[in-house]
Amino acid sequence: MTTRHDYREIPVEEYVVDKEPFYISSSDEIEVFEAAYRQRVPVLLKGPTGTGKTRFVEYMAWRLGQSLKVQADGSSSDEGENRRSAGHLPLVTVACHEDLTASDLVGRYLLDSNGTRWIDGPLTRAVKAGGICYLDEVVEARKDTTVIIHPLTDHRRTLTIDKLGEVIEAADGFLLVVSYNPGYQNAMKDLKHSTRQRFVALEFDFPDEEREARIIAHESGVDEKNAELLARLGSKIRNLREHGLEEGASTRVLIYAGRLIKEGISPRRACQVGVTWGITDDSQIQRSIDEVVSSIFP
Amino acid sequence: MSDNEQSGPEPSVRSQKLTVAQIEVELEQYPAPVAERFRMASGTLSGRLAEETLQEWAATGLEIARKTVRSWEAASEFFDASPGVQRQLPSGQFLRWGRTGASLCSESPSLAVAFFKASPAAMLRLRPRYIDDWATVTRSLYRGTWKSSALAARLFESTPQLLETLSFDEFCSFGGFLEVLSRRSYDSAADSLTQGVALFPRLGSDSDHFIALARAVSESSWREIKDLFDSGSDSLVNLPSPQRVALLSLARRLNAMGASDPGALIRAGSKAVSGVPSESRERLLELTDRLASVHAAAAPEFLKSAPGVLERVTFAQLTEWHARGAQISQDNPEAAVAYFKLESASASETLDALSSSIELSRVRDILRMYCQALTGRPIEVSAAQQLADKNIGWFQGELPTTEGTTVYLPSVINRYLTKDENFFFYKVVSTHQVGHIEFGSFEFTFARPSGLFDDLRPDLPGAKKLAAAIESDAQLQQQMELGQSREAREALKHLKDAGAAEAASPEVPAEREFLTDMSRFFSLFPDNKLALDVFTVVESTRVDSLVMQSYRGIVEMYRRVQSTALENRPELDELPARESLVEFLIRWSLGQREGLVAPKEHVETARKVRRLLDRMTSPEATVEDAAEATVRIYSILANVRNEDVDEDEFESVDPDEPSEEGEDQSGGNEEVNRDDVIQQFLEGAQAQSGDEEQSDEGPDSEDGEDSAPAEENYSSPQDIDYRGEFKPELSQLLSQLQLGQGGEMGDEIEGMEPISQEQLEELMKNAPEMDQQEGEDGKEAPNTDELIENLMKELQKRDPQNQQFQQGPMQHVDEDGGPLEASEPNTYVYDEWDFRAGEYKPRWCLVHEKEMADGEPNFFRDTLADNSSLLARIRKQFELVVPEMYRKQKRLEDGEEQDLDAVLEAVIDMKIGITPDEKVYWRRNKTERSVSVAFLLDMSASTAEAIDEAKKPSDDWGAPDDPVEYMVWLRSRRAEGLRRSYKRIIDVEKEGIVLLVNALETLGDSYGIYGFSGYGRENVEYYVIKDLEEKFSDKVPRRIDRIAPLHATRMGPAIRHTTHKLSEVDAKSRFLFLISDGRPQDRGYSREGVEKEYAVHDTRQALIEARNAGITPFCLTVDKSGHDYLKTMMEDFSYEVLPDISQLPMRLPQLYRALTM
Repeated sequence: MTTRHDYREIPVEEYVVDKEPFYISSSDEIEVFEAAYRQRVPVLLKGPTGTGKTRFVEYMAWRLGQSLKVQADGSSSDEGENRRSAGHLPLVTVACHEDLTASDLVGRYLLDSNGTRWIDGPLTRAVKAGGICYLDEVVEARKDTTVIIHPLTDHRRTLTIDKLGEVIEAADGFLLVVSYNPGYQNAMKDLKHSTRQRFVALEFDFPDEEREARIIAHESGVDEKNAELLARLGSKIRNLREHGLEEGASTRVLIYAGRLIKEGISPRRACQVGVTWGITDDSQIQRSIDEVVSSIFP
Repeated sequence: MSDNEQSGPEPSVRSQKLTVAQIEVELEQYPAPVAERFRMASGTLSGRLAEETLQEWAATGLEIARKTVRSWEAASEFFDASPGVQRQLPSGQFLRWGRTGASLCSESPSLAVAFFKASPAAMLRLRPRYIDDWATVTRSLYRGTWKSSALAARLFESTPQLLETLSFDEFCSFGGFLEVLSRRSYDSAADSLTQGVALFPRLGSDSDHFIALARAVSESSWREIKDLFDSGSDSLVNLPSPQRVALLSLARRLNAMGASDPGALIRAGSKAVSGVPSESRERLLELTDRLASVHAAAAPEFLKSAPGVLERVTFAQLTEWHARGAQISQDNPEAAVAYFKLESASASETLDALSSSIELSRVRDILRMYCQALTGRPIEVSAAQQLADKNIGWFQGELPTTEGTTVYLPSVINRYLTKDENFFFYKVVSTHQVGHIEFGSFEFTFARPSGLFDDLRPDLPGAKKLAAAIESDAQLQQQMELGQSREAREALKHLKDAGAAEAASPEVPAEREFLTDMSRFFSLFPDNKLALDVFTVVESTRVDSLVMQSYRGIVEMYRRVQSTALENRPELDELPARESLVEFLIRWSLGQREGLVAPKEHVETARKVRRLLDRMTSPEATVEDAAEATVRIYSILANVRNEDVDEDEFESVDPDEPSEEGEDQSGGNEEVNRDDVIQQFLEGAQAQSGDEEQSDEGPDSEDGEDSAPAEENYSSPQDIDYRGEFKPELSQLLSQLQLGQGGEMGDEIEGMEPISQEQLEELMKNAPEMDQQEGEDGKEAPNTDELIENLMKELQKRDPQNQQFQQGPMQHVDEDGGPLEASEPNTYVYDEWDFRAGEYKPRWCLVHEKEMADGEPNFFRDTLADNSSLLARIRKQFELVVPEMYRKQKRLEDGEEQDLDAVLEAVIDMKIGITPDEKVYWRRNKTERSVSVAFLLDMSASTAEAIDEAKKPSDDWGAPDDPVEYMVWLRSRRAEGLRRSYKRIIDVEKEGIVLLVNALETLGDSYGIYGFSGYGRENVEYYVIKDLEEKFSDKVPRRIDRIAPLHATRMGPAIRHTTHKLSEVDAKSRFLFLISDGRPQDRGYSREGVEKEYAVHDTRQALIEARNAGITPFCLTVDKSGHDYLKTMMEDFSYEVLPDISQLPMRLPQLYRALTM
């Protein structure tokens, strides 16, 4: 009996971005990334939460995959079973957290009924599959991870696996991309210079009102007028950074508010639950933001 | 009678009756007036009295004369008064009167003199049978001293006057009062007598109540008598009689209950009662009365607060507010006092809930964030009055405005019936004001071209001339660079002056430099007052329109505010022509479309200016567009003669009328011809300069046609409530400094020398904004020098390169003197936070750190012994803590047990044949506990109170401000403390510390114990009982013994000093544990001595500083009414109010545990 799932199970290293993700560039970051990829220079993405870093990586994985596809079509590859050679670039994303150790990235032995079995970690898989490995919020990870990262980011492009006594040379398509948010982590968690100087850095910030309105309209499906107002709200709230708010409203919360509006929730209420209450617990600031909301939304 | 007191020279003459004639002879031996007066009196009386009576009368006179050396004066007065008195009295009583006088004379001749002198007038009002009583009452004041006789004599003298209003009974009680008072102070009694004489006629029949009160006060607190009488004459007399009586009896009752300061009560009461409508007056006093029966100390506070409260709520709501307070006073009398003083949070909350008005202070933070969100700049929000108080060019304390960095708003809004609407008004006002900032009103740049119009600005005569000046300036510069000598420079300067003067019309000095682009712009206009008015309308229209386009949610309320504003505008057809047209524009800008009129001959003009104004509603309109529109509208309006127009001569202006020249014309010049405008400005300038030669009143008659008789002086339109005072020139000046982005001029200023006094004077002289003021208010024109000086200070404050000016000693309102210096060893200076000003008073408090002297170790030993069971419990608790501190430490080479995870890994490693990790053990390891805690003990005088005795009201609150009184107060407190055999608050605090010290020693935390007190900002005493780094030794118990109640409580500096100490200690977690018994207070630790909030806010600020330094503060208080102020003081800090102080020793270790583990 076969069961139909409405989900897909994909091995980590085989995940590729099929459809074009929606992305509006703010400057030349696409060209820079493409250039970096061509030269296999690791990329560091800096910027506050919700400024589209992850979306950018997805977009770039798709975009680079497309160009590979063109190449693949042209050169009629012989290894047909690999999805990458069929015109896709695998994207392995690892969200780093404070307990993430090197072996979580590289892999470990697991006990088996008849002994032990080695299992590759996501980084190892990406290295082997020749995809983009995206380490989100990399500073959160334990310090021992940096030792693993370093040889992958210079001319060596190798991954050392102590437990196996192996060194893996990265597949041609492999590129390490990391991101971090310089604002909200404390000084303790700043990226070490020896690490950060192995990357080219792209800075991300919130898009301007007009671009953000387009993003909101696209992502949430809300009408243009409301998207504009949401974008204006976003920029007004971001004015409060440093004046009481730690982080401004991310584009994401604006999109969520937009989705609620699309579902028929009144704009003011949607902003309250989607934006105001999400970004702060301070009742005074909430009230101030509510006033901004009620000024902007009729 | 005093027959037996004979002391006369010839006792024998008394035995036989002398005839009248013989008596006359006897009298001859006294100074002449005696016999003279005798003869005159006997002449009058002989016809009226029987022979015998006359004889007896004469004998009495002689007897008086013989009494003492000086008594002849009395006799003389006796004879003098007799005819008058005799007319009022039957002969028996007449003789009795004489004898009364005689007996007075034997006590004091001067008394008798006064008695006789006053008699004729007094007899008119005094029943004969009261004569003796009169004398007795008055004589009771006499105690053989000069002062007492003078006082009694004065009472005699005043009797006729007094009796005009007082009944005899009332007189007697007044006398009784004087008698009581005179035992304390004759001077005070004499003053009261004088004041009474003046006061009673004004009080009429209510005098008896007043006397009764005075009497009571004289017994309880006689020093307050004078103030009481003062209050009577300055306040009480203004009240209607029924309320007077009620108020007086209230005061008496309160006095009986121990309340002090009846004068203040009378004043407050009179003020409150006269402040309410007559039908509520009785009710107000009734409410007070009812409160008095519950809680005496609260009643006066209620009366005092009532007028203020009534400004915000109706009388019915006041009653509710009162009821809530009365309820509180049943549970917690102390809190009730604070409640009625409007100092407690619950009072304001209740009031807030009742009232629909909104106070700025409540919504300030919300509005501030709102404004910051809108503009993205660090906008502040303040009460408009604060700007007016600064006296830097804004004068209307109640109108909103902004100077580019701060939005100033009215302090209360009570325009609408609901809170929401009132808040919306604030919001609309803020949005408009902040709109000026958001949409760049103050970023006007002269040279930046307009987008909607062809620029006229550079072509106007003033601008051309300026350009010429700048050019020659450049030449000069060149010459300088070429290394010309100074003489050459001088010469060139002359040349330039001459050239410039030639090149342009003569009115403006060619060398004039402009501080702002705005000034430069306004200098173009011959009548810059009209220009400012036009610019104000135009720019406000632009801002309003942009606001409504950007913030659609606020449109509805915005329109509402506009239409309210419209209701208050003057009628168009009542204004002279030009003013009417300006008003027309204002009305149009406020959204009025129907019913607009203009003088018949100017209807076309009205349409023209309206079309110009309408262009400001374009979303692209900039401030430069507004300036261009201003130039055009000005040129049109300046041509309109400001003459009175008959009402019938007005014609309606159709809102929809199409412009006959076509809307589609681009370029923006369809309304006016460019050359005409320029020509007109040129003429205007010349006319003005002509005027200036005649008089200084140039700007008002720029037409130059002085011959026209009907021309009215142009006056500026009345302000619009939500737009407020718009001062672009000053605002630009102030904001460009602070923000450093004021257009081209702003850039220059940054590199420039600081603005000079002369430049400011120039600006003031020419600014239309200053001009406007003088005409308007009628009050005297502000002192320009002072204004400039203030402005200079303000500018220095704002100059980022000039930060040291920011904290001048200008805010010292209460305490004199400036910053202090820590010159002696172990003294430290700290800033103090002034929350009203929103800034620190620099180096304001001097902390003297001393080591506590050694006492006896007994207290420590005894406490431990007395609390052995509690101690055992605490120890146990703390010992339980210890295991909690053990944490599993994994991956050790050796330990208690194997760690399963690690072992598994090791086994796997072995299986696959690589060397396993040897670190497979775990162990409970004592994790390093790194805690440092400072205990800060309040050693204020109030800790001398017994713990089981109800706290005394009133004077426990305030250390008197007067140093002399303070010492008295202090001594009495100390004396009380010594007498006590029971436990005081401080003892309990000490016990708690002893027990905790014991427990802390088992834990091994680093801890310090400090006590603080002091008097005044120069004397914050800080006692070290155990320093943080110090090891426990027998000195510590000895020092604990010496902890004792001292002076006042200035918490801020003590906390700051402790913070300083803690931050020098190396520890992972640091705590500041404040143990206190009441609110912070000290001499001068308030504003104007009343605002206790000041101390609370400074303390709060100190706590915030501590937190910023990585210290966790905690406050434990035993003040039951503490919730009120602690809510403010400790907001978002932890604190605990102990309901029962005896729990402190037990609770302290518990809290410590909870806090640090």
